[in-house]
Formats: sequence, C-alpha cells, structure tokens
Amino acid sequence: MKKKIVSVLLVATMLSTMVSGCGKTAGSGGTVNAEGIKEFTAFFAVPGSEINDDNEVQKLIAEKTGCKVKETWLTGQTAEEAVGTLIAGGEYPDFIDGGNGSVQLYEAGALVPLDDYIDKYPNIKEFFTEQEWDQLRQSDGHIYWIPQFSNIYGEERACTHNDEAFWIQTRVLEWAGYPEIHTMDQYFDLIEDYYEANPTMEDGTENIPYTILCDDWRYFCLENAPEFLDGYPNDGSVIVDPDTLTVIDYNTTDTAVKYFKKLNEEYKKGIVDPESFTQTYDEYIAKLSTGRVLGMIDQWWDFAYTAEDAIKSAGLDDQGCQYVPLPITIEEGMTNQWHNSGGVLNVSSGLAITTSCQDVEGALQFVNDLLGQEVHDLRFWGVEGTDYLVGDDGMYYRTQEMRDQASDTAYKASHTCSYSYFPQWTGTSRDGKNAMKSDGQETEFYDGLSDSIKKCFDAYGVKTYVEMLGTSPAPGSWYPMYTFSSSMTTSTPGGTAWTLMGEIKHQYLPKVVMADDFDAGWDEYMKAYNECHPEDFISEMQTELERRVAEAAKYE
Amino acid sequence: MKKKSFTMVDVRHQRVLLIWAAAIVVYGVIFYYLPLAGWLMAFQDFKPVTGIFHSKFIGLDKFIRLFSDATFLRVIRNTLAMGVINLAVTFFMAILFAILLNEVASKGGKKVVQTISYLPHFLSWIIVTGILHDALSGTGIINQVLVNLNVIDQPINFFAHEQYFWPIVAFANVWKETGWNAIIYLAAITAIDPSLYEAASIDGAGRWQKIKNVTLPGIKPTIMILLLMNVGNVLNAGFEIQYLLGNGLVVNVSQTIDIYVLKWGISQGDYALGTAAGIFKSVVSIVLIVVCNHIAKKHGEERLF
Amino acid sequence: MEQTKTGFMNIALAPKAKEGKAEKTAVKKRKKISTGDLIFRICNGLFMLIFVIVTLYPVLNTLAVSLNDGTDALRGGIYLWPRMFTWKNYTTVLQKDNLITGATVTVARTIIGTVLALVTNAILAFIVSRKDFIFSKQLSLFWVITMYVNGGLIPTFLLYKSLGLTNSFAVYVIPGMISAFNMLVIRTYMKGIPDSLEESAQLDGAGYTTIFLKIISPLCKPVYATVALFVAVGQWNSWFDAMLYNRMSGDLTTLQYELMKLLSSVTNQSSSAEAMKNSNGSVTPTSVRAAATIVTMLPIICIYPFLQKYFVTGLTLGGVKE
Repeated sequence: MKKKIVSVLLVATMLSTMVSGCGKTAGSGGTVNAEGIKEFTAFFAVPGSEINDDNEVQKLIAEKTGCKVKETWLTGQTAEEAVGTLIAGGEYPDFIDGGNGSVQLYEAGALVPLDDYIDKYPNIKEFFTEQEWDQLRQSDGHIYWIPQFSNIYGEERACTHNDEAFWIQTRVLEWAGYPEIHTMDQYFDLIEDYYEANPTMEDGTENIPYTILCDDWRYFCLENAPEFLDGYPNDGSVIVDPDTLTVIDYNTTDTAVKYFKKLNEEYKKGIVDPESFTQTYDEYIAKLSTGRVLGMIDQWWDFAYTAEDAIKSAGLDDQGCQYVPLPITIEEGMTNQWHNSGGVLNVSSGLAITTSCQDVEGALQFVNDLLGQEVHDLRFWGVEGTDYLVGDDGMYYRTQEMRDQASDTAYKASHTCSYSYFPQWTGTSRDGKNAMKSDGQETEFYDGLSDSIKKCFDAYGVKTYVEMLGTSPAPGSWYPMYTFSSSMTTSTPGGTAWTLMGEIKHQYLPKVVMADDFDAGWDEYMKAYNECHPEDFISEMQTELERRVAEAAKYE
Repeated sequence: MKKKSFTMVDVRHQRVLLIWAAAIVVYGVIFYYLPLAGWLMAFQDFKPVTGIFHSKFIGLDKFIRLFSDATFLRVIRNTLAMGVINLAVTFFMAILFAILLNEVASKGGKKVVQTISYLPHFLSWIIVTGILHDALSGTGIINQVLVNLNVIDQPINFFAHEQYFWPIVAFANVWKETGWNAIIYLAAITAIDPSLYEAASIDGAGRWQKIKNVTLPGIKPTIMILLLMNVGNVLNAGFEIQYLLGNGLVVNVSQTIDIYVLKWGISQGDYALGTAAGIFKSVVSIVLIVVCNHIAKKHGEERLF
Repeated sequence: MEQTKTGFMNIALAPKAKEGKAEKTAVKKRKKISTGDLIFRICNGLFMLIFVIVTLYPVLNTLAVSLNDGTDALRGGIYLWPRMFTWKNYTTVLQKDNLITGATVTVARTIIGTVLALVTNAILAFIVSRKDFIFSKQLSLFWVITMYVNGGLIPTFLLYKSLGLTNSFAVYVIPGMISAFNMLVIRTYMKGIPDSLEESAQLDGAGYTTIFLKIISPLCKPVYATVALFVAVGQWNSWFDAMLYNRMSGDLTTLQYELMKLLSSVTNQSSSAEAMKNSNGSVTPTSVRAAATIVTMLPIICIYPFLQKYFVTGLTLGGVKE
C-alpha cells in the first residue's frame, strides 16, 4: 500500500518536473504573446518592488509600445552572488542591471555593446551628452549600460533636500525666535538652551536633545560630517580640493577633530543620547517618531518616509516636532555645500541588454519609448483622471485621495508601473511646466507642508527645504568620487585599506565620542586608523581623480 | 572504497538492503559529494567568468591570508565561544524542558504548554532581536525590574558592553528554540516502556529517581546522537543574530566566521576566501566528530558511525 | 556494535517479569501524593507557567504589531494589544499577486517533499540500524560527513542545472531529500526497538521489506511524526531555492518567496524618494513582516495537534508494545 502511494507520488513529481521544465529559458527575447505583445524579462540586482502580472499601467504602456517586461529583483542575496550564479548558469534575462556585479557581467561577455544602436533611437541618444556617453565606455571602448537615474531634463525641480544635513525640530527654532544658525557650536548651543528650558515635551515625555544613528552602513550619520563642515560637497569617501585637485582624507582633518571633540563634550553633558551607538535603525526611527529627538544628522530619505510620517500621523506636527535642515559649517562665513544642483552620473552600473536577448532592437525600441513624454507621464504620474488631474493652467495636481492611494502598497502593485530601473528623467517635463516626476511638482509639495513648517519657512523667508540650505553649483567634473570608492574591492591595496578603515571607524568612533579623555581616545583611534594604511586608499583615489579630470578636459 | 570480509551468504541474504543502500549512495554522491568540486575555488583566483575549470591556481594563498589575519583568529575565538555556550545552554534547556514537561500531570496542560513553547521557532531573528532590543533598552522591562529591585541604580546599556553579548545571544537561542528542540526528546520519551515507571514505583523510587533511572537512560541514545552532531556544528554559531544584535562597540566579540566571510569574501566578490573558510570549518567539524565519536565508542555510548 | 547495548535496551528488556504486578498497581497510582511530590508539582507548574509567558510573549507581540497601523507602530510601545487597530497589514499581504500559485506550490512541495523525505530517510535509517548489515558503519559515516561539507552556491547551481533541476518542481523535493540529521534521529529510535521482534519475524521467514513495513515502521510512528514535522516546516518555510533555481518560472513560485518579495517591496518603498508623504493607514516593513509571519504560522499551528498526538502522548499511550 505504502509502496503504491510512493510510486504514485514519484510519478506525479516527475510529471510536474517535465511539465514545468520545458519552454522556460531565462531570456525570452521578445516572445510575442497571444495578444500580440512582446514580452521581455529583466533582472535587477538590487532590492525592489515587484508589480502584479495584471498591472493596469503596465497594460496601458504595453498597448502604446507593444512591449511589456517582467521584472525580478534581488532577494536575500548580494548582487555579486546573484550575478555570479547567472554567469555560472550562462543564461540571462533580456534586460539586466548587475548593480555591483556589473563589471563581472561585462567581463563574462554577457552584455551586448550598445554604441552601434544608440544613434537609431532619438530618446536614448538624447539621454546623455556625447561626453557622458564616452564616460560610460568600458576598457574595450564599448558602451554596455545606461545609468538610469538622476538625469535632469530642462530646469531642475528640487523641493526637498534629499541628502544629508544637520536637522532640527521647528519647535526649537520657534522657541528661540528663528535665529540664524551657521556653525556647529551655535547648533549645539541652541539645543542645549532649549533642552534646559524644556526638558520634556507637552505630555511630559523626556526630550532627547541629540541622537546619532550608528547602525551598520547607516553610520554615515556619525562619520562623514567633517567633509560638509569644511564646506565640501558629498564626494562620499574623500574631500576633493577643487583648486589643487588633490584628494584629502576628511577623517584626519582639524575639523574632524573639532567635530568629534564637540560630540564628546556634548556626550559628557548628557546632550548626546547615551543609546546612540547601540540603537538599531528601528529603535532610532521609533525615537524620532515619538517627537522626542530635537536634532540629528541624517539623510532625508532615511527618516522622512517613516519618522516624519509617524510624527504627522500622531499630530505632533502641531507641536513643531518636524525637522528642517540647517546650513551648518565649522566656522562662520564659509559656503556650505550640503545641497548641490545638477544630476549625478553614476557610471558604475546601469540598464544593460544581455546576449540572451533575441531581439536587441525591439528591446532598445522599448527603452526609447519609455523615455517618450506620454509614456514617461504614465510611468511617474499615472493615468490622467485616476492618478492626477490637469488644472486649467495645464499643471498636474492630485487630490488628497489620489495621494493616499499613490502610496498604498497594494495599489502600487496592481496599478502603478514606473519601470523604476529603466532610464528616466527628473527635472521639468517637455511641456515646460510640469515636473517629470510627481515629487518635483511644487504645488504637490506645498500641499503636503504642515503649518509649523510653513511658519518656519516664512520666518526664514524661504519656500522649500532646499532654500533653507541654499544651493551650490554642481561640483567639478570628477564629482562624485564615491562612485569609484564603492566599486573598490579587496583585490587592490587601496580597496583593502578602504574596507579596513570602515571597520576601524565603526569600532572606534563611538569610543572616541564616549571617551572620558578625548585626546587619549583620539590618539588610540588614530593609531588603529593609520595601521589600515589609508594612504593606499588615498593614492588610488588621487589616481582616479586625475583620470577623471583628464577625461573631462578632452571636451573643454 | 569499502571492502571488508564478508561472505556471499551475507550478500545474498542482505541483497535488498544492499540494493537500496547502493541507490542511496549514488544519490548522496551526486547531491552532496559532487558539488565539493567547488572546493577547488579555494585554491584559485576564482572568477565566475572563467569558472572552476579555467581559473588560475594560486595554491594556499587564501588560507595563508586567513590565518595571518588577527581578525580572523579573533573571529574563530568568538565563533567557538558562542558555539560552545549556545550548545551547552540550549542542549541543557531542551532536555530539562522535555523531562519537566513529561512530568506535568494534566494531559491538556502538557499539550498546551508544548504547543506554545515551539511557536517562537517560527519567528524570524529580526523579530526576535527587535523584541530583545526593546526589552533590554534603557527604558525596557529588564532595566525597569532591576532598578525597581534596587539591583542597580542606573539602567544598564546591555548592548554597549562586551561581557553581556555572549549571554544575550545564548539567551536568545534558548528563548527561540528550546520548545522546538525539545520535540525530539519528547518523541524519544514516548518510546520508554511505561511498565518501567511502574516497576520503579514498586521499588519505591521517587519522582527524581524515576527521572534519573528511567527517563534519562531512556533518552540517552538520542541525547548522545544530538550531542555528537551538534559538536560538529560549534563553528556554525550563526550569522543573523550576531549581525542583528551587534554594533561597533562590541564588534570584538560579536563577529563570527560567517560574518567575516560575508564582509571579506562574498561582498567583495572574493569567492575563494569564503570557500577557504568553508573548508576550514568542514575540516574542524569532521575532526571534532571523529574524535568525539571515538570517545563515545570507548565509553560504550551511542555513536554516529 | 553488538556489545554496545544502549542503556535504554538494557532496561527495556529487563523488567518484563514485573509487568503483571505493575498493571495491578497502576490503577491506584495517582491517588497518593506526597508532600515532596506536591512541592515538585507546584514548582514544575510554576516553571511551565513562566516558560509559557516568556515564549508566548513574542508571538502575541507580533500579533499585536500585525494588527496595528504600520506608521503608528513605528513609535514603539506596542506590547500585547494593538494601539491603532487595522486589518491593513493583512490585506496587503493577502492581496499579493501570485499568492495563490505560491500557496499551491508550497502545499504540494510540503506534502510531496515530506513523504519523499520520510520514506527515503526511513529506508536509510532502517538499513544502517540493522546490526548485521555489512556496510552499516561506512554508510553512516558517508552520511554523517554530508552534514559538515558544502560545495558552495555556484557549484551546486551548476550541478542542478546540468541535472535539469532548474526551472522545475523537482528542485524543491529531490535535493536535500535525504538528510543525515533526520536519518540519525530515526536510526536512534529504531535501534531502541528490541531485537527480539525482528528475530522472531525472521524465524517466521519474513524478509527485510516485511520487517521494515510491518514490524519496525508501525513502532516508529512518534519519530516519523517528528521527522515529518521537521521536513514539513522546512519545506513550508523555504524560499531561497525558489529564488535561486526557479526565478524565471512564475508558476513555480512559493508562498514564502512571494512574501519575501512583498517585504522587499515594502522595504524598498519606505525608503524611496518616490513615496509621497502620507500617513493614513500605511504599512511598514515591520508591520507587514509581522502579518506575513502570522499568516505563515497559522497553517502549521492548525496541523500541529494532529502530529503532536504522536509525540506528546504521555506515559499511558507510549512505549514499545508487543
């Protein structure tokens, strides 16, 4: 009896193997389905949001372009691992963005060179300047991938400062009568004064004057302020002196010493949250969400869509618990570069077409179509009448209801299809009025502001977060250097030094801030730091800087 | 590979067993031993592009790199320490729990307790560590209780001190897995002949003596087998929990081999390093179980092979 | 191996003679409770109570978070009861595209995988637990080693691909079907079964197949149930193989893989610049993870009592019966 059951099951297993085993290759290469739509596959080696098979906007785009793409994303693996398995298997989806594994794909010969095709597709051609296209050439002189992001069409449209800053709650500024705060010392003085006068919130909860997020890779909230305090832009891993074109290590500058010494003093005074270095990201967000934290350094995206939302939903915006950025430098009278204008061309990865794709021209035609204004609007605004309305002046706007549904996870999966890892524009639409993406639309932005933020902006005579900081012109042609440091591996001395430096900083910086004797703590840190051979890293960065500058000089 | 003196009578008599064994060995070779060709990677400058068969051989470079790195040696120490502590504590707790549960008189109560006890097994580490972080924070329940009982005057920041890290990891493992691990022992207890308990009662044995003389000997083979298997696993002290509970201040005691491999191998595209560390772990495991198995054999205990 | 009688077998075989007496006294057994016994029971009950509270708390906390508004939950302070009640997290989870396909595949792999694993491990355990089997020791060693060696991701992937296991259902149930751990658990149990049973059957002319099916297996129900539970839970929760080997085969997705992708979507969304500010009834990675955890736990909790009766039987039902 048992044997029979087993054999039945075995047969069933084998059958199901055979049934599902056939007809499935990785790259379907533009197979035309029953409705006459070409179907492509795509894999992006980053975590992402999968959309439903019967997604509505995807259907509309398919009707207009004759193509649809089934996207899959990285889950539970590193990009290198995922790409490594694909290369080992030798089968690829039609489109791919290898993320950190992009070079591996190129070296494996898995990608189709795109340079011969680009001229045939006007929207793709238009996407980059000649110089930018040349920056994308690999060692064999061909272009294999198209970076998708941060590419500005027409006038730049930035309302929020999406990046790093010293943030402070509006209630602190209001209490002090909206003073001009320009230096780190002024910032901490203000927080100290406020905290002394107001140790608790309205409901009696104790305020936390200043907290530092230090969880895993998010420890940038602790470590990279010295580069901004010195008035340099976010090159990420180093400072570039624009006059001498040399790379400076921001970890060892006088400003770095001053900054950490200040944190150390504030820690001893009880201003810096004692749980700073042990809290997880979730705990940090929970703290911010209760409105207790007066100020911190962070990137906007890291807390805006979680903590800021929670503050609003709890009605704490009326108490002035929302955050605004301050233009802080180490000394009075320096220009700050917390916010820079201009896009960022990250040449290290992008959308590529693989050798498994049977219909390269069809695939590129689809990319071209996605950049057309009509389809672009479908991707980033949605369907007119359902997702947005058009005013008499031609401006797109949304009702509160539309805004709510636009952020609903289930609605996004079933309705919205932005093909988010395909090339896309930011900035101003080809109609010259609207923003390319809904988050750049000023009207949308103003509607979302709470009264306390508006009041604060009025007091400083500004209209947006960006104006709180002021905008600096785009840095030089080398910018940003982090695109190089993030692609370093331990196969070079510089890459090894870079990884080690990260470890040491992660381990020692909290100790430095908590040290009883700052100078001794700092010396100990510097000793460990110098053992990592940071000079190897700096010299490789210098070489890359010179290469980039020389490359750019060809076009001047 | 395995020849011993046996007679043709044995072979004929055991042909059913031999056929099945052969089929199973073929399966094992394919699914467990063939992939070991991947170990070659540890001796190569492996690139996915060139694959296992065409990458350049670099000999023992990766092993030398590993063992000349002070960090790796510290990481081995951490892994071993946490592995041994976790093994001892979770093992003891699971057996204790199974035996005590077996002593619960009410059958309904026994079932309810058992059902609840295994539930945390299904929570992911990220949930469990999240709750643990809450409980151990400055305003968390543990600190509140300790302060109210006047054990301490100031809340302790448990995650900032190296000495608390290993106990916290051990506690988390016990918390999450005791009920689940006890299932095997509960099954083993069912195999004990009930008449043994009756006989012991007649001989005037108390509850404690019955546990000592009947229950424990009854599940001893299971205990031995699991102990031996787990001894081989002490270097697999985990990855996720240390990763989620660790921070810069305790990095000296929190990093395990697996975290090291992720940091220096996988996320750098250095497959060889990860494989070398894997081989090291395998060798240590096999040596450990062979030694322990031999000890078990000497003492006439149940053994793995 | 012949000399090493396990401790269990020594006592298992010894007290047969006393059985008659034991039966008589069994009736009156529970009546007398000594003071020591009473203290023990109270302490034990207390221990169990604490244990239940400590282990139930994280589950109840997860349940509370799963029923609470995601954004509100970010503020922390949710313990046993949701503060801002909503079904939103569950609707988000249950609206996931392909969830039905995933659930079907998961149920199929759980059933087929468990049966296959149970049958093969039991056969293997039976073979190596035969004391007279000529390769008993070698075969055990062969499997024990597999527990501690691992060829790595890429070689395994290449192997499965060349065996035609990628993009197939078989990859869920064939690799990992036999595991040394499960085999050893069953073997230990089988070794505890008195040899006398097998010997008398052999005298009656029964072959190994008959002994396995008719004599050993019926006695192994508790351990079979245990191993079935382990395998089933493993099958039910696995998603990595679906991601790795069947990424491009949408109809072979699994429940957990779909939930992992959903979680990844929500995580990605909550840190993306595209997300518009909105606080009404939104979900967060934490709240969705909580709901997904409860959703995957439920079926196992429902099935558990049926398996549990085999290994939590208490003294009256258990034991080797002849």
